[in-house]
Amino acid sequence: MNLKSIIIIVTVYLSLILNSNSLVIGSDENEILIDANFSGKDLLVFGAFYADPSQPREKKGDILIEVVGPKEDIVLRKKESFLGFWLNAKSVKFRDVPSFYYLSSTSKLKDSFFEKNSIGLLETNQLPEVNWSLITTEWGTVSSDEEKQEFYEALVRNKTYENVFKQTSEEIEILDGNLFKTNIPIPNTVPVGTYDVNLYLILNNKISKDYSYNFKVRRIGIESIIFNFANSFPLLYGFTSLVIALIIGWISADLFRRFRKA
Amino acid sequence: MSIYLPIAEISINIFLLISLGGVVGFLSGMFGLGGGFLMTPLLIFIGIPTNVAVATSANQIVASSVSGAIGHWRQGLVDIKMGGVLLSGGILGSIVGVKFFDYLSNIGQIDAVISVLYFALLFSIGALMLIESSQVIRDRIRKKTVKKKLHYHNWAHRLPFKTKFYTSKLYISVIPPIIIGFVIGILSGTMGIGGSFILIPAMIYFLGMPTSKVIGTSLFQIIFITAIVTLLHATTTFALDAVLAVILIISSVVGAQVGVITANKLRGEDLRALLAIIVLVVAVQIAAELFIQPDDVFNFSHMANYK
Repeated sequence: MNLKSIIIIVTVYLSLILNSNSLVIGSDENEILIDANFSGKDLLVFGAFYADPSQPREKKGDILIEVVGPKEDIVLRKKESFLGFWLNAKSVKFRDVPSFYYLSSTSKLKDSFFEKNSIGLLETNQLPEVNWSLITTEWGTVSSDEEKQEFYEALVRNKTYENVFKQTSEEIEILDGNLFKTNIPIPNTVPVGTYDVNLYLILNNKISKDYSYNFKVRRIGIESIIFNFANSFPLLYGFTSLVIALIIGWISADLFRRFRKA
Repeated sequence: MSIYLPIAEISINIFLLISLGGVVGFLSGMFGLGGGFLMTPLLIFIGIPTNVAVATSANQIVASSVSGAIGHWRQGLVDIKMGGVLLSGGILGSIVGVKFFDYLSNIGQIDAVISVLYFALLFSIGALMLIESSQVIRDRIRKKTVKKKLHYHNWAHRLPFKTKFYTSKLYISVIPPIIIGFVIGILSGTMGIGGSFILIPAMIYFLGMPTSKVIGTSLFQIIFITAIVTLLHATTTFALDAVLAVILIISSVVGAQVGVITANKLRGEDLRALLAIIVLVVAVQIAAELFIQPDDVFNFSHMANYK
């Protein structure tokens, strides 16, 4: 972090001299490893931004951080009461939905901003018309716009409930006027893959500077071996699991017989 | 301390899993039941996905059945021929059961169907056990002795394809055991149970097998049925979690031994009444989830789970 801090400070100074808008970021890691004890992690994202020094803090612009996880296909089902039973009735398939989505800004940004720049999956549901171009959907028997809207909101709500979708404007900490720092909570349910981190410096409701990088979530250790084995060689995996069961069952019968005789 | 289950893809407290395995093992050892009918719903309660609970439960039953069958085998209490006939129906049934499970998963009805099946199963077991044990308790209080029938003759003895089962001293048609095996196979594939609590009474009352040979024979055939169900789930639903299975197997075999020792020191009917109440509570809990409107009527699942 020391080297990065120096780079940031140098850049801020350079910006000062050049009197131009600037954005520099650093992050403490570019890989998150999931092992047996993984219970979630806070990803630290920090950096420096520089706008016009003569302006007060409020006018210096905003920082927007967006984290987008690998895409996944999900089925969303709606339960309906059937003879007193609550059963899954209608279903909608959403394809290429981000498995993780996090949006954070230094102050609350306008809907028009998100709309104009096609940023913000969560924001779209506040608009009168949902921007469906962001995701592919198979509506099945669902036809009315009202019901589509309901499904869309349910998708966001369920994902938010699982802590994989989040939008906030309170988590970025500003230090020294030009340095920012935030912790992005990555829950233990996130899938493996590449996560894109997009940072924007926003001035006058416009993107002034942007910067992107990515980090990877990987499984490591015995869990990753088991997961890959189960998916690549399911029959062999099943047999292995069976043999383990047979051996433990056999040994235990033998062991306890001796134990009781003794 | 929590452990990450690679197939269930969740972190869960390891002590919770060990105590769950231990308690189910204890109950199964105490009552001589497989315990799968408690294991699967309890796994679902603690947050294990339904498909993982069913597949892993089947794997765990393989271990507990082997452990139990060995003792009966050594005493010559396993009717291999009868086990084989039951198994021929059972293999077919388990294939149907797993296919049915996979189909229900794809159309999104697996949770509801599993709940209904478990409610029906647990409610009837609980009610029957409660009635039976309360009668025994009542008779004990009145100091009455109950006469038992020595032999049952029914329709099972009049069907064609009769065969001699020497170990069980029976001469009956192979059709009833094949049908019984088939039905148990379907239940095993769909619910992740061994089915001994249905199999044992069916063998005694429908087939007229001697009680001494029934437990060993049912355990013998359950080993193979649950083994096939395990393999079918591993290759069809990809839901078998080996880490979860090993934890449950070890804790349940230990629990089962403690259960056997405890059972010898206590009165059977009192214990059965207690188990009946536990089973009924679980049944009511399952029913409540079906009938009460969920907090959110929407729920989602990942399509990748069912390739």
